[in-house]
Formats: sequence, structure tokens, C-alpha cells
Amino acid sequence: MEQTQKTDVIVTEGVTKVYDADGIPVNALNGVDLTIQSGEFTAIVGPSGSGKTTFLNIISGLDAPTEGKVLLSGKVLSEMGGNELSDFRRDNIGFIFQAYNLIPVLTVEENVEYIMLLAGVPKAERHDRVVAMLETVGLKDVEDRLPTQLSGGQQQRVAIARAMVSEPAIILADEPTANLDSKTGAALLDMMSQLNAETGMTFIFSTHDPMVMESARRLITLCDGQIDTDEMK
Amino acid sequence: MFLILIKLAWRNILRNKRRTIIASIAISIGLAALIFGDAFMIGMMENLIKTATDSFIGDAQIHQQEFRDTREVSMTIQELDEVGANLAKEANVQYFTRRTFAPGMIASSANRSAINLVGVQPSTEKLLSQIDDAIIGGGFFEKANEHDIVIGSKLAEILEVALGDKVVVTVVQAKSGDYFEDWFRVSGIYYFADAAMNSGMAFVRLKKAQQMLAIGPNVHEIAIKFTSTEYGQDKQVPFWKTYSQHGNEALSWTEILPQLPKVFAMSEYSKYIMGIVLFGVVIFGIINTLFMSLYERMFEFGVLRAVGTRSFGMARIVLFEAGALAVVSILLGAILGFVLTTIFANIGIDYTGNEMMGVTVQEFIYPVLTIEQFTVYPLAVFIFTIVAGLYPAWHVAKMSPVDAMRRSF
Repeated sequence: MEQTQKTDVIVTEGVTKVYDADGIPVNALNGVDLTIQSGEFTAIVGPSGSGKTTFLNIISGLDAPTEGKVLLSGKVLSEMGGNELSDFRRDNIGFIFQAYNLIPVLTVEENVEYIMLLAGVPKAERHDRVVAMLETVGLKDVEDRLPTQLSGGQQQRVAIARAMVSEPAIILADEPTANLDSKTGAALLDMMSQLNAETGMTFIFSTHDPMVMESARRLITLCDGQIDTDEMK
Repeated sequence: MFLILIKLAWRNILRNKRRTIIASIAISIGLAALIFGDAFMIGMMENLIKTATDSFIGDAQIHQQEFRDTREVSMTIQELDEVGANLAKEANVQYFTRRTFAPGMIASSANRSAINLVGVQPSTEKLLSQIDDAIIGGGFFEKANEHDIVIGSKLAEILEVALGDKVVVTVVQAKSGDYFEDWFRVSGIYYFADAAMNSGMAFVRLKKAQQMLAIGPNVHEIAIKFTSTEYGQDKQVPFWKTYSQHGNEALSWTEILPQLPKVFAMSEYSKYIMGIVLFGVVIFGIINTLFMSLYERMFEFGVLRAVGTRSFGMARIVLFEAGALAVVSILLGAILGFVLTTIFANIGIDYTGNEMMGVTVQEFIYPVLTIEQFTVYPLAVFIFTIVAGLYPAWHVAKMSPVDAMRRSF
């Protein structure tokens, strides 16, 4: 898919997060200002404790900043109520987790379908989209299997299908290749890169994986809760 | 959405089968106990009503007003012929029999005892009461001998008499107040578990009793058996008004034994209290089970919340699991309750000889199965289980996704 116009999908202004660790304030993020545009394929890197996790939690609306503002697709997250935020995540953000985190009692098809069920998508459309999405990620014939009957790579493909099926603007991926062997990881990364190019969805990775860093077209390094480097390739 | 919630609930409760089975057994035992307890209570009530009405009292009685309070020998039923003729035409009256009552003294060569001398019509008395069935020696006025007397085994023991032995009965005659005594031969001995009937009553032929009491053809009581016991409990039917005229009063068994309906009503309350206490205990087991399941799957709940499930949707997942647990438990409990009750409904429970609410149980108690036990109680258990699921559901609903998924990003 050809991208005609880039828009700011994520804007953070002075985002600060202070945790209370047994009475001791810990600054996880220190006034992060960042803009991510639609269609970016961005990796956020940094050592453990640098604030990657906190940053992803905050830009996805899973956590609230102590100070500062987050705008997603032009909407201020802190101004949304609980249910509004849930709906916003459902419609705008796809999550890919390190440990796949599929619902183990649901089949592959049901896992992918779940978000569309929440959104009230009609049954026939849900089915068509699930079939198409599973075909895209190369899992055409496993829709009736449970996650435990799949390999790690296959489970992560299901997770990608689940994240993308509702066509969100942003995909947040937390260490998506960490539990996979390098060959499978490379294949998945290629697939996500291709989907990014085809669909124009914004991909943001939190990673330690050099392979992901290499594939990323923008590399943001966090250190002590602040942006250390921001490099466009 | 409902289909996926049902699938999630059903598959989740099967994830830890052992825990589900243990929780289900706890709930199902509670339900089975409720079903059996209710069936036993109904069986006991029916038994007590049957004992009270069939053994002697009947479904209804007609007396002269205030006879039951004063026991005056002269207070016989007014307009007896009219009353008798009308009763014979009543469609709801199956049988009726006439009786006289008089306090008296019975004496043998060895001993004496105060009694209530009852004059009966053997042919109709047999249809209405169970004295003839309780005979353990001799017979119930089988020979046409006006000097026959039928007494209880305990009275025979007190008097030290056996079949064929002679006794003398003394009564006070109506109007004159003179003592009158006559001799009788013991022609039948009965046994009732009820001590008062076994030791304090003696039965003679009606005509003989009328002659002794000098009341002519009059009687003190007409005992009635209706075609259905329920008719006797319905105070709206015209029967009561019709026969409460001319100074008479028609009373149902519920008025003759007022303690029975009162205690039955109390039993209803105690049944519900028992149910609440029982499930009050079970409810904590359910909460514990749901919380254990919830904490094991905290991360999953975090994922569901993160991908856009609303608070209410999260609560619904837990409530559906509670519902699935309830359905499994109800099926188990209903089967267990049915099997248990059916077994005892066939073999009976021996409470004979025990006095309950002033009535001595004569027969085995047979628990009675009803539709209510398999509709109302399971529904109550379902509601109870859902109520038990409210707290874990609320806990999940207010859960922060980032707390639940702390291990994620």
C-alpha cells in the first residue's frame, strides 16, 4: 500500500513517570518528548531499567503518566474514561507480546476473532477476515487448533494476526522475537516489515534483538528514562 | 459474544478438573441435601397428617359448640338426623361415623384406671379410623355382643387383663349425673404408638355407650373423611358453614390439631434458613475456587483487558465461569438428590414411635419428590453461585491491565 501522507500517530509531551518503590520515588521516565508518524517501523532500545516498558505502557494507555501528555491519533489518552480507553485500544492498538499470550482455551480462529467480537463485527465478516489474516501470516490450516498445539513461531504468528486483524493504526510489539530461534525470528520480522509496507500500520518494537534493530527504520535509544539517541535510517 | 463467553467459561472450568470437581461436589452436596431435606419434610408432614387424620381424628369433626372445651356428656350434636342425612348426600364426604365420649373409670380384679370411654359404630369406624388395623389380639367388634370392649395394650397391662377377661366401666350419666356401671369382656386389644390412645381409651359399641350415658340416640361427635385431605384444609368451601348451624360446629383437622399447620409453616422457614446456612458455607468455597482460578490466569486477564475488553466484559467472563460451575454442580446435585430421595422414598425412614408436634408417628416416613425441588432449588443454587461470583468479578473488573501484565513490557 502506498502511503500518500504521513500523520503524527503518537505524540508525547514531557511524559514523566515516577514510581513509588516502598516510599522511594523512582523516575522511570523523565520528560520524554517524541513524535511517531504513521507507517513508521520503529524500535525502542535501551538497557534494562531504561524505561522501555514504562514508555510502551504509557503510549498504549495501559498506564498513565505522572506528568505530561500522550496523544494517540490526535486524542489525549488522559482525558479518556476507562471504557473509552478500552474501546480506543481495541480499535487503534494491536499488541504483540513476548510470550505470545494467546488465550489457551480458545482456538487459533477464536483468538484472532476475539477483538472483532468485542467490536461487534458481524459473524460472516469476522470469519472472512480471520481466514484472510491467517492466510497472510501463513497459518491457513491451523484455525481449529489450540495454541498449545502450535510451535512458538506459529503462536507468535497467531499473535500478529490477532494484533492486525482489526486493522489498528499502531502495533506495539514487546520483544516479539525474544522467545524464537533466529530463523523463525527473522522470518517473522520480514513478515511484519512486509505488512508494514503493505498496510501502512505503524510498528513500534521494544527490543534487545540486534536483528530487530537492524530491520527498524528508526531507532530510539532510551537511557535513564530519557531519549538518548533518535536515529532515522 | 455470548457463545465465546460460554466457550471461555466452560473450557476454563475444565482446565483444572480436580478443583472444579471438588467445588462442584461441595455445591452439589448442598443442593442434594436441600432436595432430600425438603422431600423428607414433605414426607414427614404427609405422614403426620395421615397419622393424625387416619388413625382417629378424621379430616373433620362435628360437635355441639363448646363440647370440646367442656366435655359435658349432655352436650350432644343438635339436629342429628338432619346432619346425618345431609352428610350422606355430600359429594366430598367419603365416610362419616358417629361417636360418644365420656370420662369414666375402668376396673379389673387387679387394678383400675381413668379412661375416656368411646362409643363407636364398628362398621363405619373401620372405614374412618385405624383402630381395627392396630388390633394385636382378638378383633374389633367382630361378634354381635354388646358387652365387648376393645382396649389398648398399655391399659391391658395396667389392668392386668387379657382377652376374655372381665372389666367394669363406670360413667356419669347425662342430666341426672348418676353413676352408672356395667361389665364388659375384653374382646380386642390394640397397639398404638400414641401413649394417650394406648392407655387412656376404651371402645364400646355406640348403642351400649348411649344406653350407659342415657343420651338416647344422640352422639357427641361425627368424624368425617373427605374424598381428599386438601378439602379438609380449605376453609373457603361451604361445608363448614353448612354444618356450623343449630348450635353445632364443624371443625377441620387443622383446627382440631392447630399445632400441626403452625409447625409446618415453621418448618418451611427452617428449611430456608437451613438452605441459607448451607450455602452460606458453600459460597466461600465458590469464592475461593474462583479466586484461585483467577490468580492463576492473572496474565490472561491482563491481556484481555489490554486488547480492549471493558470492565463489565471482564466481570462477565468471571460470572459466566461461576455460571458454568453452577450448571455442572446443579446437574450433579440434582442427580444425587434424586437418587438419594428415590432410595429412601422406596425403603422409608423409620421414625415410628417418635412423637412430633403432638402426633406419634405410626408409619415409616417416605420422602416425597416434587417438581419444585428440581426447579426452584437449582435456580436458587444458580443465583447463589452467581452472587458468590460477584466479588471475584468485581475484582477482575477493577483490575489494572498493567498490574496484571507486569511481566509483559
